[in-house]
Amino acid sequence: MKSIAGFLVAALVLSAIAFMLGSYHTDVYRKLLLWITLALGYNFLFGIAGQVAFSHFTFYGIGAYAMVILLFQVGLPLPLAILAGIVVCVVLALVVAIPATRLEGFYLALATLAFAQLFIVVLNEGGSVTGGPGGLANYRLPDILGVRVTGPWYTVVIVFLLLGTLAILWRLDRSWFGRACRAVRDDPQAAQAMGINVNTTRIVAYAVTSALAGVAGMVYAFVDNTVNPPIFGLENSFLLLFMVIVGGSGRHAGAIVGAILLYLLPFFLSPLIGHHHALVFGVVMVAVVLFQPKGLIGIWDHLTARRRMAP
Amino acid sequence: MGEILVAKGLSKQFGGLQAVADLDLDVRRGEILGVIGPNGAGKSTTFNMIAGALAPSSGTLVFDGKDLTGLPAHAMAARGIIRTFQHNKPFASMTVRENVMVGMHLRLKGSLWRVLLAGTGAVRAEREAVQRADELVAFVGLGDCRDADVDTLSFGQGRLLEIARALASEPRLILFDEPAAGLTLAECERLTDIIRQIAQRGIAVLLIEHDMRFLMALADRVVVLNFGRKIAQGTPAEIRADDTVVQAYLGDLGAMAHA
Amino acid sequence: MSDFFELIVGATASGCIYALVALSYLLITRPTGVINFAVGEWAMVAAFGGFLTLSRFELPYPVGMALVLALMIGVGWLTERIAVRPLVEKGAPPLAPILALLGMLVVFREVVSVGMGPDPQPVPPLFGYGRLELGLLAGSYQSFFIIAVTATVFAAAWYFFERTLAGRSFEAVAIDRRAAALMGINLRRVTALAFAGSAGVAAMAGLLVSPNVSAHYLMGLPLAIQGFTALVIGGVGRVEGALLGGLILAIAEQFTVRYAPIPPGLAQGVPLVLLIAFLLVRPTGLLRARESRA
Repeated sequence: MKSIAGFLVAALVLSAIAFMLGSYHTDVYRKLLLWITLALGYNFLFGIAGQVAFSHFTFYGIGAYAMVILLFQVGLPLPLAILAGIVVCVVLALVVAIPATRLEGFYLALATLAFAQLFIVVLNEGGSVTGGPGGLANYRLPDILGVRVTGPWYTVVIVFLLLGTLAILWRLDRSWFGRACRAVRDDPQAAQAMGINVNTTRIVAYAVTSALAGVAGMVYAFVDNTVNPPIFGLENSFLLLFMVIVGGSGRHAGAIVGAILLYLLPFFLSPLIGHHHALVFGVVMVAVVLFQPKGLIGIWDHLTARRRMAP
Repeated sequence: MGEILVAKGLSKQFGGLQAVADLDLDVRRGEILGVIGPNGAGKSTTFNMIAGALAPSSGTLVFDGKDLTGLPAHAMAARGIIRTFQHNKPFASMTVRENVMVGMHLRLKGSLWRVLLAGTGAVRAEREAVQRADELVAFVGLGDCRDADVDTLSFGQGRLLEIARALASEPRLILFDEPAAGLTLAECERLTDIIRQIAQRGIAVLLIEHDMRFLMALADRVVVLNFGRKIAQGTPAEIRADDTVVQAYLGDLGAMAHA
Repeated sequence: MSDFFELIVGATASGCIYALVALSYLLITRPTGVINFAVGEWAMVAAFGGFLTLSRFELPYPVGMALVLALMIGVGWLTERIAVRPLVEKGAPPLAPILALLGMLVVFREVVSVGMGPDPQPVPPLFGYGRLELGLLAGSYQSFFIIAVTATVFAAAWYFFERTLAGRSFEAVAIDRRAAALMGINLRRVTALAFAGSAGVAAMAGLLVSPNVSAHYLMGLPLAIQGFTALVIGGVGRVEGALLGGLILAIAEQFTVRYAPIPPGLAQGVPLVLLIAFLLVRPTGLLRARESRA
């Protein structure tokens, strides 16, 4: 009961903010919410399930492109396109999950890296279907029941995406499944001995988080009203990883903090270092790994002398 | 019959090496069966075959009337065969209580949809799980360490955690892999006590052990392996008097001296 | 037909570059188990070093090359000192150094991007832009130079691992770290040497490839991926594997581009598909690592 109230309050507050912002800040705010959503999902995959994968942002791209292609090239009506989009994301997530999760640690990282690059190659060579290197643009969200959902109302959609993702991951984390994911991460052999099917656990964790990233992508498609290959490149996958590590790997709060910090930091730093924010990310990343591996949330815990429930 | 596990003709070959050959073995409900033998006798291999970590090259494993031969570890566990590890393998990122709760996986697991949708049902199940975990932790004597991170436990405490976690899975047969290894005398006594209580609850116990004094005092029956074959079987008293067993251990006088 | 042989020479030269990058990984991975994604950036930094010493300051080639190599060996040593040693000594999980090196990858790239700008910079080849014809085989001077240098490097690497005490100690550490330490092998020195050597080899790759492709701050990651693909294909445990994998990868890539009826952009996918295929089917690569010798 407490958590439902909490979610409602968060929904109200986050939505209210949407109505108070001008158009420039609206764009920043929307992207921030989307990055938090992605970081939460990636945190579950990397931090909780322990899978070093670079494909999270790729599924974001798959969702975005799928939405645009289904709506404007296949010509499906919106509700059907949404449904089909979700199906595509889930199916593709499973198709990749099944072979990918058989790979241990580093090999999984490499395979997903190759998969991410391959996605870009396919996008670039996709001709009129994907719009090639230029991508697809000049479309907008169709009216829903005669209503145009734009501006702060679309931001509210993103708020619900974020809270929905958080709710799902939170629930999963605090259940036998979350424990199983951590057990598989910590010691797969011991997990097997406890009756946990290591393979299935990995597949479900990968598929669920990747599908969630895909759904986020579907929502993203109407934020800039353009999708093109550079947006979904490896750089952003690295940034996601940095966000989760800097914030505190394995903790939802860590993902939120990391995403907010690393997304907003460039805006504050640009007078100093222009476009080279990546340099700061790299340095902060190395510093965190060397000196504070538990991330910023670790510092917070230390200050509040609170022992974490599940690391 | 009171046998819960019947292994017949169990064999395991690794390339040219016959680790276990034509082994017949049975464990009865509520009994403590000890498996001993010199180094390289095939104890670990047998253990791993029963636990599902290794598939037998030939032979059958029948558990509670069902043929389980060749099933993987997690499937064996699902049917009630739970093992501990000689070199403790706790889940390093969790507390003592959380480790034990992982042991309850088989009981708690259900549909993921229920996880997402159900509210109070899942909450209640979790709360009961916490209570049960605390009971088990108290049973093995780690009550004060419930909330401790496992990397703060001593080796002996880690061993107790292994046992609590194994019990959480509600085993019908529990396999102990050299449980006394690395323990102090006092810890061994506590261990003996715990294992006796486990057997009294009707759970079958199979343990492999090098510490003769510990095993002979605890086991109801003993099986002796050498070069992958069973060379003797009987009560501890019978085994002590058995010539073939003494012969097998002539290269290991130290161990027999303690028996 | 001569076309075919020209392609062979070109592919072999590309393969040599991949092989050098693969060797660079191997030198670190074998003794320490750390996967250093940053090798591509090392090559990139060396390429810019080549630009500065050879184009900007117009030093003679051997001098320029030696300077860059020396600098990069120092960079390798420094990277280990900063990003890896503190973690190993703290007993951090194996993932930690890999993540730190990933951060260093970004740092290297951005530093170069800030210092040298986003435009590609030219690096002159040693023997100029001429062609050489050796019987049927024909190709640019640079291609033959690459092949010759790579052959030398690999011969030296082979000799190092097979015949020198230092090289054997690398193997020992790779097989069993703790045992090696107990036998008196200085783990710190091996690790430092591994990183320094790796950076030197990566620098070589960067210097050799840059006359063809120019020095550009984004060239690191694709090179790193290709190098790693070569390693996976050839066999993660052996020096010969790096060479074999590099050649196979390059030949598959170039012949697909040339002869397969698919658009050239899609041919970029060939190494990626190969990598995924090998990871799924045969992650240990074609050549098996040597078992520990009694």
